[in-house]
Amino acid sequence: MAKILLPAGWTHGTETEFDVPDGPLTEVLKGFAHAHPAHRRRLLGDDGEPLAYFNVYVDDDPVARADRAAAEISADSVVVIVPPLAGG
Amino acid sequence: MATVPGAVLRLGSPPWMARWLESEPQPLPGSWFADETPQIEVEVPAFRIDRRPVTVAEFAAFADATGYVSGAERAGHGMVYGERFWEERAGACWRTPGGPGTGVDDRADHPVVHISWSDASAYARWAGKRLPTEAEWELAARGVQYRIWPWGDQWLPDRANTAELHAGRLDALDAWLDWWRDTCREHGPLPRTTPVGTFAPAGDSVHGCSDMAGNVYEWTATPSRLYADDAPCDPALRHVMGRYRVIRGGSWMNFRYQVRCSERMHGDPGGWSNFALGFRCAASAREGPARDESGG
Repeated sequence: MAKILLPAGWTHGTETEFDVPDGPLTEVLKGFAHAHPAHRRRLLGDDGEPLAYFNVYVDDDPVARADRAAAEISADSVVVIVPPLAGG
Repeated sequence: MATVPGAVLRLGSPPWMARWLESEPQPLPGSWFADETPQIEVEVPAFRIDRRPVTVAEFAAFADATGYVSGAERAGHGMVYGERFWEERAGACWRTPGGPGTGVDDRADHPVVHISWSDASAYARWAGKRLPTEAEWELAARGVQYRIWPWGDQWLPDRANTAELHAGRLDALDAWLDWWRDTCREHGPLPRTTPVGTFAPAGDSVHGCSDMAGNVYEWTATPSRLYADDAPCDPALRHVMGRYRVIRGGSWMNFRYQVRCSERMHGDPGGWSNFALGFRCAASAREGPARDESGG
């Protein structure tokens, strides 16, 4: 299983690390949002697609917006989501 | 500009601050604030800092004189908090902070918003100044003595532009969302900034700086780093260290806890901005042109 790591500011003191199936990054994010509806509004737009403005790091490497559609998440990867304004 | 004497500053928050935050009726875990600890001793040479954030009128003078096009203008959109969540709103920029149909004609003395780190740096260079470092910003906000807010340790909601000025006491995110949705429906997604210096002198810092708590988030020059390599930090937040720049002061969007003098936020300097994000400038206290002293 891959993992998704969310900021603690999003989860308000609850779990921040989640196991997710590997696969295309876009599908991993959509699948996670559907499985965890409390985080859906932060991750997906009204069209059901992942919002583009937050930053995504896969195994500590940033994934540029233009590269996300083609990005694949392997079973041992960690996907980190960080908004452009973080902390506080 | 205010002149701030050089000082040795214990940058950041003492250990009791995280415990106090956890004891308060606010929704975030104490660990979320761990990046403002441990305190570290920093020697800050004398400097000057703007008493107020850069205004719409001041930024307009810069844009008119230079033809500067901001990051949000180039991108064709700016980050606005809509009724649901953050969104990239087409046409939102410093000239139209809520998007098309909004404007700044009646906001000349408000802090300019939708300012990226590059926008702020470009203005500062043009003005012969620079962005303050994180340590300069905190020293200007609270002095050497640790103060939770610029005026002291007692929260006084009428001394700063926070969401609590508009909505009354806020302890939970849901209450904030209710207030913001109602505000959006009545006024649209316009930033709830106030004219710079509105809360002076009662809300000013010991060094005579206004709006250090709330009104707009303010960029600093300092790259985001933990104060100690082994400092506790939220694992996701750790990924911005070395990548983002420190943002200070909180904004009109925040509760009292996010506008503390030692509160740290971190912003992506790669062109991003939002409708609550502005800046103020600093300069060396030494004689001579600040432009030369800033390294160009």
